[in-house]
Amino acid sequence: MKDFSTPKSRQSGLELLLELHPERKLVALQAQTRRHFLQSVSGGLGSIFLGTIASSNPAFAAAAKLATDGTPRLDLTRDEKNPLAALPPQFAAKAKRVIYLHMAGAPSQLELFEYKPELIKLDGQECPASLLAGKRFAFITGVPKLMGPQYPFHQVGQSGHWISDRLPHLERHLDELCFIKSMRTDQFNHAPAQLLMQTGNARMGYPSLGSWVVYGLGTENQNLPGFIVLISGGNTPDGGKQLWGTGFLPSVYQGVQCRSHGEPVLYLDSPKGVSVSERRNVLDTIDELNQKQYAEFGNPETVTRIAQYEMSFRMQMDATDAMDIHKETEATRTKYGSKPGESSFANNCLVARRLAERGVRFIQLYHWGWDSHGSNAGDSLNFGFVKRCQEVDQPIAALLSDLKDRGMLEDTLIVWGGEFGRTSMRENRSGQVTKFTGRDHHPGAFTIWMAGGGVKPGITHGQTDDLGYEIVKDPVEIRDLHATMLYILGFNHHKLNYSFQGLDQKLTSVKPARIVSEILA
Amino acid sequence: MIPWLRGMSARQLFGLITLALILVLLSLFLFSPPDGNERTQLLQFFGRFHPLSVHLPIALLMLVPLLELAGRNRRFPYLLSAVDFVLGVATCGAIATVALGWLLARNGGYSGPLVTQHMWGGLFVAAAAWLCWFLRGNISTEVVTARKRQLYAATLVATVGLVSFTGHRGGQLSQGENFLTEFAPAPIASLLALGDTGDAPKNSPNGGANTFYGAQIQPLLDQHCVTCHGRSKHKSNLRLDNFEAVLRGGKHGPVVKASDLKESELFRRITLPQADDDFMPPDNKRPISAADVKLIEKWIAAGASGTLAANAIKDLPSTVSNPVAEVTFEEIDPAAVAKQRASLASAVTQLQQKFPNLLDYQSRASADIVVSASWLGAKFGDNELAALAPLSDRIVSADFSSTAITDKSAGAIAAMKHLRNLRLMHTKTGDTTLQALGPLDQLETLSIFDTPATSIALSTLARLPKLQHIYAGGTKLSDNQSMPQEVRNKLVF
Repeated sequence: MKDFSTPKSRQSGLELLLELHPERKLVALQAQTRRHFLQSVSGGLGSIFLGTIASSNPAFAAAAKLATDGTPRLDLTRDEKNPLAALPPQFAAKAKRVIYLHMAGAPSQLELFEYKPELIKLDGQECPASLLAGKRFAFITGVPKLMGPQYPFHQVGQSGHWISDRLPHLERHLDELCFIKSMRTDQFNHAPAQLLMQTGNARMGYPSLGSWVVYGLGTENQNLPGFIVLISGGNTPDGGKQLWGTGFLPSVYQGVQCRSHGEPVLYLDSPKGVSVSERRNVLDTIDELNQKQYAEFGNPETVTRIAQYEMSFRMQMDATDAMDIHKETEATRTKYGSKPGESSFANNCLVARRLAERGVRFIQLYHWGWDSHGSNAGDSLNFGFVKRCQEVDQPIAALLSDLKDRGMLEDTLIVWGGEFGRTSMRENRSGQVTKFTGRDHHPGAFTIWMAGGGVKPGITHGQTDDLGYEIVKDPVEIRDLHATMLYILGFNHHKLNYSFQGLDQKLTSVKPARIVSEILA
Repeated sequence: MIPWLRGMSARQLFGLITLALILVLLSLFLFSPPDGNERTQLLQFFGRFHPLSVHLPIALLMLVPLLELAGRNRRFPYLLSAVDFVLGVATCGAIATVALGWLLARNGGYSGPLVTQHMWGGLFVAAAAWLCWFLRGNISTEVVTARKRQLYAATLVATVGLVSFTGHRGGQLSQGENFLTEFAPAPIASLLALGDTGDAPKNSPNGGANTFYGAQIQPLLDQHCVTCHGRSKHKSNLRLDNFEAVLRGGKHGPVVKASDLKESELFRRITLPQADDDFMPPDNKRPISAADVKLIEKWIAAGASGTLAANAIKDLPSTVSNPVAEVTFEEIDPAAVAKQRASLASAVTQLQQKFPNLLDYQSRASADIVVSASWLGAKFGDNELAALAPLSDRIVSADFSSTAITDKSAGAIAAMKHLRNLRLMHTKTGDTTLQALGPLDQLETLSIFDTPATSIALSTLARLPKLQHIYAGGTKLSDNQSMPQEVRNKLVF
């Protein structure tokens, strides 16, 4: 607690000013609500009791440093003024940063990477009842028909990965990718499935992957947020801003959504006619007020507020520079297919590379529109899907190639995937044969790929049946993926936790998660 | 009371009662030995005081020879008169401890050769203590021959020997078989021939590489079981790291019964539903794959033999077991880490205060340093790099990309002899720097993307033994035939 009786000479101007008001003390007292009073009375009695035990028993003090399983806690305490300070990982990390490419809407694995020749033969036949028993679908009703891949597949490279003809640029990097074809989820609607993928929990209120990572590792570049989110495709993903929220972690660790054209973060610049030094003065005063508030109430969110003001001041320079793809050569922009001024996935990929170069810890890209139901041209496999592929293919390939050229693929983990898979059956919304082709949501099996630091290139983990419908080998739960990602970043997922509501909360939640050791380099 | 009892001295009565108790224990041992079944929990509760009470008789019995020897010295003659009392208490203590031990073993589900040896050892200790007490009593009350003194001395020595043996067996039971000698220095270990302590007996015909057990079963057990049931840790006193141990079983008795899958506890445990509390491997460890369970099933069904030839069992499941090990975590020992860091900790703290977020330890378990200067951009130049000098030796990874460093830093970078990764991209460092990198024999990757480097420095880089990748895009270098082949393979454009 800040001492209010500091000598006058050391008091700041603001405090002196407040001292002039006789009501000042009254106001401070009024800020102490009944709730505060009861809290401090009951808490105070408890702490007196605990204090007597703790002082007489050193084991008690030591136990406070232990997690519930009796092993020492991972010490993630930082200087209050610097909540984003970089911390070393628990173990030597294989990757220092993550670029997560989330294809919101769930791209069809059966049109991209999951080659199922058997499904070609069975195309148009009625789906066997055994596949439907006990299953729930978002839109499929009655007995749907099986549907073969809509685009031709071929094998590529030394790894012999199969790929359809929709991603000709990415194809060149196929030997660098590590596929998991046996991902599964228990959510079949977009918002909860995206939340599960990004926060480890299908309900709102849990910290996102990026928040956990920044909470655990901090960020070196204090002039940029440690967790940046870039969105393209004309729509925010269904899961909303909770996807990069902090849940119960201090909100300083939440993702900062940046715009990929114009001002990256709105209102970052000083208003017209306000000089930098004036701006600084304003911030100093606000800072001082916030410090007072913090001294009085001790709410960590106040610290977050202070840190955010400070960062936004520093970001005025660096963020604008990092986001400015005009600074890249024409050749580079062409490589990505990027056009300055647009809000495109290509621009975001290029920005992602620039952010990675500047030490941003977690860069999350969302591209929207992969929900290929076939209910209209835009969300069909024949049209919308083709367009989505074109939008992401070249930029992803360029990003991989740029990182590789710079040697940064060695310590950058790239993850690509949606929130679930799509059915082996053609969607028959309302029992009708739709004009366009599409597939329904399928939580039972989907494909993601990873590349870069810490993962084995050119391999496939897991396998589905001949229809690409059920996993037959090495299922990977989302919590397994999260545990694996944290491991690559140097953490034991059991240890990266935060005490909240009486539980050492962690990204992988309470069910046992397995690190997918088969894919580790 | 029986008349002849009434005529006895207190001493005789004590002797008779203790002897009777020893005989009762003997009959208990003979007629209801521990058999690996768990029984009454209340008796187990009492039984668990055995490890506690055991120390009293041990200490007292070890004290007796000391008293006897010291009592011979002219300065402590009075010690001798305590011997009889100490032996009496030791006898009582031993009897009580043996009784508790039997309660524990009988009711707590113990069995196996270790337990049996320890149990009988304990009873013999009680009997030997009684005998010592008896002989010593004769000596103190009668005029005795030298022969009787010798007999007493011999009994006492034997008792001490028995106590040591039994105590050691008890220690092995509670701490693990090779707890005492696990970290014995090599000369002592070889002197005691400890090399194979508790491991497969030498020259055992069982479990050789060309037996089915050695080729198929042991590797599975090694992969899934021995972290808990192995040499240094054996939960439930079960070891699965060699054939003999597998057959011996654990504290609940044998785990494998030849040709009988239903009675083979090991098989039952690995085939339970995964959610069952008894399922093995426990918790979230990777279950044994169906194909591997099949292997174990075939082996037990064929007689659980250690000598069966590797190719004797036909129609094996075709899929091979997965060789990838599970990720495990070692607990970090903060004291050991602090010790490693001792010599550089103050320099690290100083530099961290001067340049926040510039450098840190590679991990919480490491004393190696990682430098990330790239985010400082133009604010980081040759002078700042020179400030890293006190830590040069410990820097394993350095990212100077996009900083203002120049060739003037060549010497400072070359002094970082343990560098494994070096990033110089988007800087003005050129051939001078690269040519200075000769001493970096640990260097694995080097990024000179977008630097003024030319092919002049390639000969220096070619000599770096561990270098795997040189990221040389955006430089004057380009792929051409005239380069030395060993460098050409490492260049990435």
